[in-house]
Amino acid sequence: MSALDPVAVLGLSDGPAQIMRLGLPALPTPATGHTSFESVLSAGLDRVNDKVAHADELVRQFALDDSVPVHQVTIALEEARLSIELATQVRTRLVETYRELMNMQL
Amino acid sequence: MDAIAISRTGLDVEWRRMEIIALNLANMNSGPAADGTSFQPLTLLSGPAGSFGAVLDGQQPPAGVRAYGVQPSGAGMRRVYEPGHPQADANGYVSYPNVSHASEMALMVKTARAYEANLVALAAAQQIYSSALQIGKQA
Repeated sequence: MSALDPVAVLGLSDGPAQIMRLGLPALPTPATGHTSFESVLSAGLDRVNDKVAHADELVRQFALDDSVPVHQVTIALEEARLSIELATQVRTRLVETYRELMNMQL
Repeated sequence: MDAIAISRTGLDVEWRRMEIIALNLANMNSGPAADGTSFQPLTLLSGPAGSFGAVLDGQQPPAGVRAYGVQPSGAGMRRVYEPGHPQADANGYVSYPNVSHASEMALMVKTARAYEANLVALAAAQQIYSSALQIGKQA
């Protein structure tokens, strides 16, 4: 298989390792231990609130001065909508689970 | 950076490029200003935000695209013989920016298509996000 030798010279012969190297860096692992469920929830709500405030600010800027590219405004609005949708989904699951636990027959 | 943010950088850059094209076309017949300087046709330089090598090595997540800056395209001036023109020089020539109408129009169509492509990618990313929210939904 001398025809394949140039490939080996390039160091590409160990396939999986090279493919792994192209992947994105691993996500930072969240600090475990001290984070309570409540703090995770309130941090998430803070982020949603930040996004809504950012969208609000962009709409205000756009109304005053339309040099702000319009796509930035619409994307900010859409991101705010999606994060609110995520928050309501979390809330719905939470309430559902709570109800289920409360209705448990002992 | 997620797909939505990357598409947004693409939209930003194409928006800027469109502004530069509009500026070039608007100044196509601009004579010299009062201080003698003339408008120079401009081009927008854009490229990947962050180093390509670092992204490829997996040391850095992809960060989209960004505008590096605007620089004169070096097309020079177009000298037109108009002896009666108030801005004519001693030999009767007026200098106009050498804006290439055809190439600006071609670039404009390309920019509009690139903008649309970014919008489509953005819509797809949003739709994926929305459908991911449906996972495990009751009824």
